[in-house]
Amino acid sequence: MSEDKIKLSSEDGESKAKKTKINTIVKKRSKVDFFDIVNYLVFIIIALIVVIPIWKVVVDSFNQVGVYQFKLLPTKFTIDGYRTILETKQLYRPFINSIITTLAGTLAGLAVSTLGGYVLSQEDLKGRSILAYFLLFTMIFSGGMIPEYLVMKKLGLVNSMWILVVKHAVNVYNIILMKNFFEGIPKSLHEAARIDGCSAMGIFLKVVLPLSKAALASIGLMYAVTVWNDYSTVKIYITDPDQVNFQYKLRNMVMDGDTPTTSYNVSQSTLYNAGIVMAILPFMILYPFLQKYFVQGVNVGAVKE
Amino acid sequence: MSEKTEKTRQKRTSETVKNLQIEEIKKTQNVASDQEAVAIWKKKKTGKFWKKIWNDKGFYLMFLPVAIFVILLYYWPMLGIRFAFFDYKPVGPLKFVGLANFQKMFSTNAFWVSFGNTLFLSILKLLITTATSVIVSVFLNEMRLLWAKKTLQTLIYLPHFMSWAVVAAIFSLMLSPSATGMINGVLKDLNVIDPDGSGIYFLANKAWWRPIFFLINIWKETGWGTVIFLATLSGINPELYEAAEIDGASRMQRIWHVTVPALSQTIIIVLILNLAKVMNMFESVFVLYNSAVYDVSDVISTYIYRQTFTIALPNYGYTTAVGLFKSLVGGGLVILCNWASKKIRGRGIL
Repeated sequence: MSEDKIKLSSEDGESKAKKTKINTIVKKRSKVDFFDIVNYLVFIIIALIVVIPIWKVVVDSFNQVGVYQFKLLPTKFTIDGYRTILETKQLYRPFINSIITTLAGTLAGLAVSTLGGYVLSQEDLKGRSILAYFLLFTMIFSGGMIPEYLVMKKLGLVNSMWILVVKHAVNVYNIILMKNFFEGIPKSLHEAARIDGCSAMGIFLKVVLPLSKAALASIGLMYAVTVWNDYSTVKIYITDPDQVNFQYKLRNMVMDGDTPTTSYNVSQSTLYNAGIVMAILPFMILYPFLQKYFVQGVNVGAVKE
Repeated sequence: MSEKTEKTRQKRTSETVKNLQIEEIKKTQNVASDQEAVAIWKKKKTGKFWKKIWNDKGFYLMFLPVAIFVILLYYWPMLGIRFAFFDYKPVGPLKFVGLANFQKMFSTNAFWVSFGNTLFLSILKLLITTATSVIVSVFLNEMRLLWAKKTLQTLIYLPHFMSWAVVAAIFSLMLSPSATGMINGVLKDLNVIDPDGSGIYFLANKAWWRPIFFLINIWKETGWGTVIFLATLSGINPELYEAAEIDGASRMQRIWHVTVPALSQTIIIVLILNLAKVMNMFESVFVLYNSAVYDVSDVISTYIYRQTFTIALPNYGYTTAVGLFKSLVGGGLVILCNWASKKIRGRGIL
């Protein structure tokens, strides 16, 4: 319709009319209209829905009263919930296990995904497609939970927290993300380093990795979150209470009522909520600073069209 | 198409190079017959091939740790699939039983219940959370106050990074019928349910479990789901909105006619990518279900888990067979989704 109008009017007049109209629109835009008010109200409600469960946990973790109350702040403040966790071996041991496995798992995951991604990014490497299919096939077909369990049993990883490190070391999706990222690094840099006498490993360590800090941060965070948050692997593979991680302990405590036998002077609810806060604390602290790396990780893979 | 022509072009060039090289050999080495020249050329070429591999040995060595982990984690367990055809118990000998495990599986009601639940829960979850993510991102995109938008994004992404174990702990405390449960407390305060009664045990109630499961999934995954849609929306040409405005479109009309169509392709891709994973549903159910609600919550993976690790004398052969069925259906879905993705956007998911 508007095309017809353009044809009828002279070009100058048309563009002038258009400009004034755009100007009024821009002016109108800076005003807040009814739509905006409703939109903000709805989003305040959405924010509350997200925050209330978390807020309630934090409040209750400092609250001595173990009965439901709809209060914004603790009525009787206490830190005994946290003290109990840090002083009871059955509770702090899993926490330490979580930290160890998360650090080791992140390193292992980063090593495997960068090495794999780097090799696959070599365009003239003989057998590159064979290596790629070797990895991709695992995304189509797998042995399943039980054959996997039997293999891990043979490797002596049943009842050991190191299963968490081994199980998450390979993520084919992350290898492909790294490969795509490395392919974006200019070839001239590789060539220059090669002429300077750098080996494949030397180029990888001295040229490629220093250029990939942002990608390493994104993918490293993904591994850290995966290992820290893993509950089911522990539930399947580990029965030894000294080897479980904090997620497992927390779930057992809250949902199966498996609280430590040592005496503690806080209400059950305070202890549980303090446990939940401890389980999310590391990421709650880091999250505001690292959010952009998390988001970047998704966008690297998904939006690359 | 262009890929094909590129390939034929390359083939033709390499053919020309080959002929030139053979000519060269004929001239310089005084070889009379063509066959001899070709033989020499072939020898040279294979020599070059191995030399190239030797030169690149660093890369193959670097791939070695990756290959070792992949073999340990994926390929070695694949050999274990043979147990699906055996009777394999923790005690007693391994006994070949042919297809008996599969016969047992297909005639067991609990297996079909878990298969049905897997499809129902994960497909409905996928549709619901995708829908909520699209709606939230469309309206988030309409926010003009940048700081408000950024703050909201930070907030709604947060639950995604909590583990399922933590989310289950939070909501089981909130939904608990005991004195600590917030939801039952609020319902009692508002007189929706009998204030002196025992309250609703949401997670152990067959009628309530599924709606609660979907609500928790919405709470946890909607925010993070908006990341990909917001990325698409930031790529819309602002002139489209201006044009619509000049044509007199209201804000809702602009959303409906500009924003939503721009998202359609992304929505389809997100659905396809996740459809490939529907058989994998495990941890979210595993942490939230209990014996009172197996009928409505049990999925294939939790069924395998229980049949292996919580009964007195498990038959690893039987649970391997169930796992094989799951792997095959899952693999079929991956191939199907890969094909669909190639059709729609010219790029597979693999």
